[in-house]
Amino acid sequence: MTSPDPERVIAALAATFSAWAEPDSPWRARLARELPCYSPEVLDHALREGLRCWTDHALRDIRCCELADGERRPGRVAVWLAASVPAGVFSALALPLLAGAEVWAKPSSADPASPALFAESLRAIDSELAAALHIGAPTEILDTADAIVAYGSDETIEILRARAGPRTFVAHGHKLSLAAIGPHADLERAAARAALDAALYDGRGCLSPALILVDDRAGGRVVDFAAALSHALEELAGTLPRGSLQPGEELRLRELRARVAMSGAQTWLSRDSTGHGVWLCAAGERPEPGLLRHLPVVPIAGLAGLFDACGALAPHLSSLGVIGFGAASGALDSAALAGGGSRVCALGRMQLPPIGWRHDGMGAIEPLFGSPGLAS
Amino acid sequence: MSRQSLDQRVLDWIAEGVDSPSDDARFDALALELFAYQYEHNEPYRRMCDAFGRPPPAVGSWRDIPPVPTGAFKEARLATFPPSDCVRIFRTSGSTTPSRGELHLDTLALYEASLLASLGAYLCADDRPRFAVLAPSAEDAPDSSLSYMFDCALRRLGAPGSRFFASAEGWSPEALIDELRAAREPLAVVGTAFAFVHLIDALDAQGRGLRLPDGSRVMETGGFKGRSREFERPELHAAIAGALGIPARRIVNQYGMCELGSQFYEDSLRTGVPSPVKRPPPWVRTRVVDPATLADVPAGDAGVLVHYDLVNTGSVLAVQTSDAGRALEDGFVVLGRVEGAEERGCSIAADLLFAGRA
Repeated sequence: MTSPDPERVIAALAATFSAWAEPDSPWRARLARELPCYSPEVLDHALREGLRCWTDHALRDIRCCELADGERRPGRVAVWLAASVPAGVFSALALPLLAGAEVWAKPSSADPASPALFAESLRAIDSELAAALHIGAPTEILDTADAIVAYGSDETIEILRARAGPRTFVAHGHKLSLAAIGPHADLERAAARAALDAALYDGRGCLSPALILVDDRAGGRVVDFAAALSHALEELAGTLPRGSLQPGEELRLRELRARVAMSGAQTWLSRDSTGHGVWLCAAGERPEPGLLRHLPVVPIAGLAGLFDACGALAPHLSSLGVIGFGAASGALDSAALAGGGSRVCALGRMQLPPIGWRHDGMGAIEPLFGSPGLAS
Repeated sequence: MSRQSLDQRVLDWIAEGVDSPSDDARFDALALELFAYQYEHNEPYRRMCDAFGRPPPAVGSWRDIPPVPTGAFKEARLATFPPSDCVRIFRTSGSTTPSRGELHLDTLALYEASLLASLGAYLCADDRPRFAVLAPSAEDAPDSSLSYMFDCALRRLGAPGSRFFASAEGWSPEALIDELRAAREPLAVVGTAFAFVHLIDALDAQGRGLRLPDGSRVMETGGFKGRSREFERPELHAAIAGALGIPARRIVNQYGMCELGSQFYEDSLRTGVPSPVKRPPPWVRTRVVDPATLADVPAGDAGVLVHYDLVNTGSVLAVQTSDAGRALEDGFVVLGRVEGAEERGCSIAADLLFAGRA
């Protein structure tokens, strides 16, 4: 298969993202029907906001920055998807195409819809480029691909890594993200932004805040924040409602809510549904991560506390969403790094990474040409 | 209302037997009094009820009593009495998760009364058979409610010669098969479903089945997912019938769980007709609910089983399971475990991340 002109690839991908982000995108509408774990409102907000910056300029920048030799191509790339976050699926498929690869993708069982619809939308823009994207890859492709990009559990990653052997292997294993509220944050504003990060994709992805850290050296702020967060989540239930849950998910939520309530923690739980919940942890506690729109809030004592909390997650931290830390931004990078995190972003933007973000500390396309066994 | 008085009223009802009237008013009154008692004396449960906005004044019917998910028994001590009064702790098998739920008991009187009333009625209403138990004894498995139940059944309902054919170390199917082959009087062969799978395999390996004496019966209980082999229940019953040489109508499934003091039985033996319907005794109610709302599902629809067991005086009477079922006029059928949701996105499981949880 001949490699299409890079500018044509850039234009086609940018136009595809734009088609998904436009106000009345039929693609989003179809995805909402086929992926009921998200409400149409959540998909609208997440994709319109998230894909807005995925422009031809952004794509061109990635090629310029990461492909010093513009003639290189990664050949055939197998992409083994996990999870069900559409924007993550789109970038996982688009980036190898941007690098000039032929892509064979296996959708996750949780989300067969996003890859198929993305491929269809690309076909509507540029059928020739779309011919390089194959959805529903047979397992045998793992033996012939030049590179394998794997998402999923540690167990899945190791199985695929063994299968890759000496070939290029790019791993995106289990990760989670934290939100941190600094000493200078306006608590109402911080709560609204944290709630938005939790509500977009309903806490299902590795960029969703799994717990929220609040600088509470002044005392009392953490309680005020937790109450404000609960209120913000309740408000978002109207504007960005949660998607449909599987019965098993409902039961896991009910168990979590019962356990949290029984523990004696101060709680703010939605009364008539399993919609949302917030609970307060003790300083130094390492709570289990939140689930969907249920979040633990942990008081910390300044940057030292943030370092400790991030470090406890090492190497599984993905992103750190922050607000109100003033001039301490350099220290925030270091804190994230202590947990293995590669991204510090503004709270409220956790679910909206640029397409060229250094996912798991790696370049967007450069790893496709990388050394064997490259891992997250 | 004292605990002693509540216990006695439940015992009085049990003494009337499984065929006593299913008196809704009586159940409602007792359940609400028991709920109020448990709210007052069971601190974790009280916290949960308060967090959910359901203290006793907000609960007008047994149907509104907040149920505790079985998973919560793994972390909280859900008892209405101090630890010093505990006489027994039953623990879940931990077959699907590493941690185990616990039911703390300060008396075994209600547990025994309920099990004897039900097991007696559904398995040995007309005689006292010799029991052959495919499970360890209560001495070998002191935290197993199942072993305790069988121990009690042997003592109170079994003919001389009744015995356990497993120990803490394992079991020898050959000894059991020899015993079964030599039997001349009706037997009650009871045990876990997966133990029967092993027995069937052992008989297959010998190349010849058994023919148990007329009047024999089988009771199997528990799940068998993740074990050596997996059967659907009708397939298991057919295999047991074939291997042991007894009619399928003399095979009874019992449905129970560590967190409940009462159990549910199929009435195949009483009616002579195999049936998957589980019959709650009059002192138990079962709802089939939508897990999203905990409201009753429309009649005949599948939902999640929630049990209200008056025998659970010392813990919580309302228990929400992870089992799917369907309500029928005279009981319910169990459809299996509710499929767990896939792990969230690419987030890691809590126990991997926070092994050192404070």
